Amino acid sequence: MPDRLQQAITVLQTRFGSAAPRPAAPPCPARPSGIPELDALTGIGGWPVGRLSLLAGPRGSGKRTLAQRSIAAGSREGQVAYVDFPCRLDPEFLCRFDARLDQLLVIRPKSVKEGMASIRVLARAGVDLICIDLSRARSVGLDTELPHLLHRAAEADCTLLLVHDAEADDAIRYYASLILSFERSAWVFRRDGDLEGLQVEAAVVKNRLAPPGRKQQWIVPYPIR
Amino acid sequence: MTHGKSRDPDICCVRTPHPCLVAAWLMAPALRGRPLILGGLAHERGAVTTASIEARAQGVNEGMSLNQAQQFAPDAVFQSVDEEATARVRQSLLSTLHHFTPDVAAGQDPGCAFLRLDRLALRWPDRSKLLAAITGAIDRTIRVTPAIGVASSMFVSQVAAERATAGAPVIVEADQTRRFLARLPIDVLPLDDDLREYLELLGLRTIGRLQAISRPAFRRQFGLKALDIYDLALGTDRRRLRPWRPAVRIEASEPLEPPVDNTEALQFIARALAERVSAALLSQGLGTRAVRIALNQESAPALVIEARFAYPVTTAGELFDGIRPRLLRASITAPLERITLRAGRLEPAYVRQPGLLIRGDGRRESIADAVARLQEEYGPSLVQRAEVREDAAPLPDHRILWKPA
Repeated sequence: MPDRLQQAITVLQTRFGSAAPRPAAPPCPARPSGIPELDALTGIGGWPVGRLSLLAGPRGSGKRTLAQRSIAAGSREGQVAYVDFPCRLDPEFLCRFDARLDQLLVIRPKSVKEGMASIRVLARAGVDLICIDLSRARSVGLDTELPHLLHRAAEADCTLLLVHDAEADDAIRYYASLILSFERSAWVFRRDGDLEGLQVEAAVVKNRLAPPGRKQQWIVPYPIR
Repeated sequence: MTHGKSRDPDICCVRTPHPCLVAAWLMAPALRGRPLILGGLAHERGAVTTASIEARAQGVNEGMSLNQAQQFAPDAVFQSVDEEATARVRQSLLSTLHHFTPDVAAGQDPGCAFLRLDRLALRWPDRSKLLAAITGAIDRTIRVTPAIGVASSMFVSQVAAERATAGAPVIVEADQTRRFLARLPIDVLPLDDDLREYLELLGLRTIGRLQAISRPAFRRQFGLKALDIYDLALGTDRRRLRPWRPAVRIEASEPLEPPVDNTEALQFIARALAERVSAALLSQGLGTRAVRIALNQESAPALVIEARFAYPVTTAGELFDGIRPRLLRASITAPLERITLRAGRLEPAYVRQPGLLIRGDGRRESIADAVARLQEEYGPSLVQRAEVREDAAPLPDHRILWKPA
């Protein structure tokens, strides 16, 4: 914000109190994701703390890799949790990102209700970052659980990431503060014809904390590291 | 028997007959003075657990078969061991001694207990009066006069107690320990068969002969492991007295008049009970790791709910936090007449005090508690930790070790 504009707002706040203009989005602390391009994309320097961020996109678009990289970065700083609804988390894959497995709790719930109750309890207990890996079949009943969950996460300053394979329900889209849409734009090949990596394009579909609409491309190198 | 007077010995060993024998005498006082053999009835297959002095005088020993014991003592009374009564006798002995000092330890021998006396010097300046008081207290509790030995170490005091008679304690001063042990046979030492045989072959039949050997020479001859035996022969016992703690039962109960049938009212009562239990825990410096709630229903079986904690909990708030969700989920089918809250798995409330001014300190304890609650509610497989085994075959099932958090 330019200095002159800030000065004007300060003058108005002094004069009119609560009736003065104020920023539409209050400042929100952010947790670095471990990927500089992504931190720039969110507009606030990382995942919003105490809120829900949705990573949506088709299978093979790189969203889960990105979420797991964030979990690995979080595990180096404190206790993190991964709610593994599809039961397909590979801890050895996380080790490639230098994750500290002793700081990682893996929750494998049998139902959405059980999973959400676990997240609420862990968020309240002080887990900093929780990634929810949700398959499409398991998202039934999430709309009634999300308000309680978000209230708890906001109270406990817990960052929530939700990885969803398909087009998310309206309820999830409504409660998410940040929605990143991922798409595999191209395969990247070396000159000798070997596969080098995957070009991923991410777009900010919704952002309550910074202007939406930004786009960013980066390459997920193979083998993934 | 008293040897000199240079410094007060520290450890007192109190010996009573085997607790199951004492239990049998308490149940049937007429058995005192008669040959009594415990371990089973005469016709049963089994071994003698213990026997009274009168039966021993006829040749009965511990470990002997009951059949053989009957041949030695045909007029003896045979009884099986009452385990519960035996445990009660042992607890009574230890708790009686605990009234004198908290430095009480149970010996390996069931009828044996140890006390540290050096911290009682101010309260009991006259040692003979203290020993008389201990003897009197035990006599009043379990109707047995103990044999008491006092010495500077656990081993020597136990040996002294074995040589004492009821009402006549044996006190071995620290500077007389070697002389006291010197005349005793090597059998009083905890020797294994090989070492005993070896010592006897060398003609070492008394502890005094053993003491005459220098420590380096003993080590060369019998090895490093046997040095503990050598130290005991000199009266040095490195074992530390492990204090026994009396069993504490903390519970609070409340009759519900008229009977209650809604969980709202129940929560208020449970909160009040949690505060009472918390106050009792606090006064004794204890924490509980398991709470049991018993709900007595008017015309249905009693409901029992258990809550477990990852670390010892003392405050009413923490207790109630653990109880409340379980109370709300309880399937109450009839009005409740009584609610009882009992704290179990009591431990000293030694948990680390998280720093109040350090952000996030205490989070580990909090997360451990949350994980324990989730696992209790949904099963241990809900929250897991993964471990990668580098040396395993490159198959996911082999390389990843999943274990409950």
